[in-house]
Amino acid sequence: MTFLRRTPVIAALLAGFTCSVTAFPGGQQQFFGGNNNYDYYDPASNQPAEFYWSRLRYTARTDSYGGGGYGYGGYGYGYGFASWSRDYPKADRQFLMAMKRLTRIEGRPTEQVVDLDHDDDVRPVANEFPGRSIDNYPWVYAVQVANWTFTDQEAKRLHDYLLKGGFLMVDDFHGTADWDRFMNGMRMVFPDRPIEDLQDNDEIFHVLYDIGQRFQIPGEQYVVTGRTYEKDGYVPKWRAIRDDKGRIMVAICHNMHLGDAWEWADMPEYPEKFASMAFRIGLDYIMYGMTH
Amino acid sequence: MMFELLFKYPVAVFSKGEFVLLGGWPKWVLALLIVAAAAALAWRIRLKLSRSGGNLRNWQAATIWLFETFLAALILVLLWQPAMVVAQLRPEQNIIAVLVDDSQSMAIADGGANTTREEQAKKVLADGTLSALQQKFQTRIYRLDSHLTRVGSLQQIPPPTMPATHIGDGLKQLVAETSDLPVGAVVLLSDGSDNTGGIDLDTISALRNRHIPVHTVGFGAESVSPDVEVDDAVVPQRALADSRLSAMVTLHQHGYSGRKGTLSVRDGDKLLTSREITFAADGKIQRENLLFSAGTAGAKSLEFSVAPLPDEKNKLNNSVTRLISVDSDKRRILYVEGEPRWEYKFIRRAEDDDRIVQVVSMLRTTENKIYRQGINDPNELADGFPTRAEDLFGYAGIIIGSVEAGYFTPAQQDLLREFVDRRGGGLLFLGGRSSLADGVWGGSSDVDLFPVVLPNQKNTFHRAPATAQLTPAGADNLICRLVDDPQANVDRWRKLPYLMDYQDAGTPKPGAAVLAEMMAGGRKLPLLITQNYGRGRTAILATSGTWRWKMSQPLGDTTHDMFWQQFLRWLVADTPGHVVASVPNQVLFDEGHIRLSADVRGKDYTPAADATVQAHVMGPGGISAMVDMTPVPDAPGTFQADWTAEKPGSYVAEVTAQKGSDEIGHDVVSFERMDGVAENFHVEQNRDLLERLASQTGGKYWQPNETSKLADDIPYSEAGITVRETKELWNLPLIFLVILAVRGSEWLLRRRWGVV
Repeated sequence: MTFLRRTPVIAALLAGFTCSVTAFPGGQQQFFGGNNNYDYYDPASNQPAEFYWSRLRYTARTDSYGGGGYGYGGYGYGYGFASWSRDYPKADRQFLMAMKRLTRIEGRPTEQVVDLDHDDDVRPVANEFPGRSIDNYPWVYAVQVANWTFTDQEAKRLHDYLLKGGFLMVDDFHGTADWDRFMNGMRMVFPDRPIEDLQDNDEIFHVLYDIGQRFQIPGEQYVVTGRTYEKDGYVPKWRAIRDDKGRIMVAICHNMHLGDAWEWADMPEYPEKFASMAFRIGLDYIMYGMTH
Repeated sequence: MMFELLFKYPVAVFSKGEFVLLGGWPKWVLALLIVAAAAALAWRIRLKLSRSGGNLRNWQAATIWLFETFLAALILVLLWQPAMVVAQLRPEQNIIAVLVDDSQSMAIADGGANTTREEQAKKVLADGTLSALQQKFQTRIYRLDSHLTRVGSLQQIPPPTMPATHIGDGLKQLVAETSDLPVGAVVLLSDGSDNTGGIDLDTISALRNRHIPVHTVGFGAESVSPDVEVDDAVVPQRALADSRLSAMVTLHQHGYSGRKGTLSVRDGDKLLTSREITFAADGKIQRENLLFSAGTAGAKSLEFSVAPLPDEKNKLNNSVTRLISVDSDKRRILYVEGEPRWEYKFIRRAEDDDRIVQVVSMLRTTENKIYRQGINDPNELADGFPTRAEDLFGYAGIIIGSVEAGYFTPAQQDLLREFVDRRGGGLLFLGGRSSLADGVWGGSSDVDLFPVVLPNQKNTFHRAPATAQLTPAGADNLICRLVDDPQANVDRWRKLPYLMDYQDAGTPKPGAAVLAEMMAGGRKLPLLITQNYGRGRTAILATSGTWRWKMSQPLGDTTHDMFWQQFLRWLVADTPGHVVASVPNQVLFDEGHIRLSADVRGKDYTPAADATVQAHVMGPGGISAMVDMTPVPDAPGTFQADWTAEKPGSYVAEVTAQKGSDEIGHDVVSFERMDGVAENFHVEQNRDLLERLASQTGGKYWQPNETSKLADDIPYSEAGITVRETKELWNLPLIFLVILAVRGSEWLLRRRWGVV
């Protein structure tokens, strides 16, 4: 959806349209944010499965839009072109297609939006199984995390979720300033845990695919600019936060945009090598999250 | 005395004899005549009533009819010559064995009496009982302690000093030694104190085969008050390090009913756990469960005790000692998972904290890729699920996740069964979309391994919520124990977050234990089912959604980890090694004889009959002995050796099996000899044991002051040389008294009612 950065007027119009859509009949809230006339509501959204591609919905910073022509949003959470919904849902669904084809994971073909503000009832509400709490979805993907903000309660919720066994993959933030803003939120979650650069021999790159030579995965802007980087994010950073037993809890993809690679994998102009790498990385991260 | 005055014969004639009618006419004629007499009397009374003008009420007439009919029936029965036929020992031709207990407990003088129990027993015999027996039978006198020894006379029975009494062994010895002699009965004079804990079925059966009744005469006070006695503590002989153990402590008391006491278990000076108990009714056997941690590896001597209470008469019977061998060898579990699932991850995470149980897993990530975790070397499981027994049998347990039966070749399915049956491993099946009936296991050769009859249909797995609850069997089961108190444990399970999915596992088989159930889709289904199979055990957990117990509870909640650690320890704790050493009793009281046994299995866990087996026994004071163990005929792979622990103290026997120069395996077993401890227990008369022994063999329990009748009762026995005697009943004094009473009562009533 990086085209939106270059077309703010169209984006604003689309935002006005999508703001009017709040929920779908199936009980699961679904939100616009993609393009290609995507069929956002899919009957499969109510189909229970082992794995739910879960996208973290968060409250974005109010000053997040316009900064460097990046980060459209700032609507608070939930609606329209908020930061959390970048590339949504096309990236999610295309990734799920790949996952179904390439692994034995029984995944739901549609994505699941989760947040840090819901608890489960003692018994699940009809049509809301497996419940609204993030705790029901031990693997979560978040984008544009330079814009995320947390209340103290939300930060604790994410902190506990990760230490209990949840896994978070963050993507699509670039350069020094984004990193600092990402860390503002992350330090609310884990004030002291070190962030380390992942090495080639780290298990996470070998669970399903042996990924040795990694390279920067650009967003869709590469098709126009030929640049693999955005802002001052020249070098891709494959980073992680681990728990006390050395298991990765947060996989950080800084200075790259895997979501765009999934979303534009079917675009002839977007190079296949970036899309392939993005799929392999995503599948390794999911497989790691389901085994460690 | 009164009984015999009225009935002419002793009670035994009626209790052991058979009632017969000696009259030659058929019994139906008797019945017909009784009915006819009743009818005739009724007709006569009715006729008289009508003639007398009806001044007698109906119930009065009925009473007179009853009296007359009863009398007529009685006379008719007597005409048919009633009698008892009873087997009776031939005088002078049978032997009565008189056994006098001379163990230490018989030296007790109860209640401040001047004479010991043994002296009382001798006195009872000397004061007429023995001579009365000798008038009718030959008698043989024995003293009974740990062995049975024949003595010439009562005087040759020494004062009681022998440390142990084995009543069962003594009786068995008597039966064997007198197999060609006409033993008519056994008279046992004892306080019932038995160091073996009871009389085994073999002994009872040997006595019953020869119809030998054992008449017991009980000595000693039947209760000591106030006193608490710990009777027993049942704990597993082996445990894994850091395991939670459950001990069942049995105790009884007199004088403290309703009061509180403290039950504890100690490892040396270290208190492992203690809790308050409330004493049950006086004399009632009370069972208390005690949970504690096995702690670190090693042979341990655990003392289970009730803290001494004020004024307690005997404080030396408040504790018992049990030995356990705590093992820290790693137990490896092979987890085969057919698809990436959250349950897989969270089971692995739960076991991360268990330093004994190691989960080795193979996960099918794609159709052709297997991701292995926990492997020891790169070659382990590189070719998938093992195809050779020696590879598979290296694991102590196996978990089958969402894997269809067809994933395993027929040979691998056979190997799975052998893993449980022959190797003695634990096998757990998890619920899943390719599990149980949905994995077509019902049509596999492993169908017997399941503790359920699998449903005869597919689509039994459902991704919908299910709530777990414990069954009574699960409430105090160690697998399910989240909270020590059983009721609190049941409540805790009810509050667990719902499971993410469930599967209809089918109908539990007879012999299987359902430890937990689940409410799902408006139905109650079995959730956790276990069973023993061959040398091993199998289980089903009909869900793959327990991971929610981790994610949906607050950080730091240990429910999920605890459940899985306990569950997987159950799966592998009793999985034997190649050598399993054992002793019949780990605590020897006042004697040192012990029989060491070893079950030796080869690499593929078939019995290693050609092994060389030795035991290295180490004991107190530097005792060190190498004992060769010999094969037991007709029991391939089983080896035994008899040895005697001469000194009191703790012993360790390390049993090693070799084949040529290669070691097959080794095992360690510990035992302890305790002298002078047993005499502090069961100081009261064990009347229950004596009564049971008597009733199970056709004898009778006697108080010492009743033994004058013993000689009259004993002759009625089926043992020895007997003759069948017919005892006629027509001339019983009781019958004449009854006739007089009936006739007199009728006459009195008639006078009163004016119808004489």
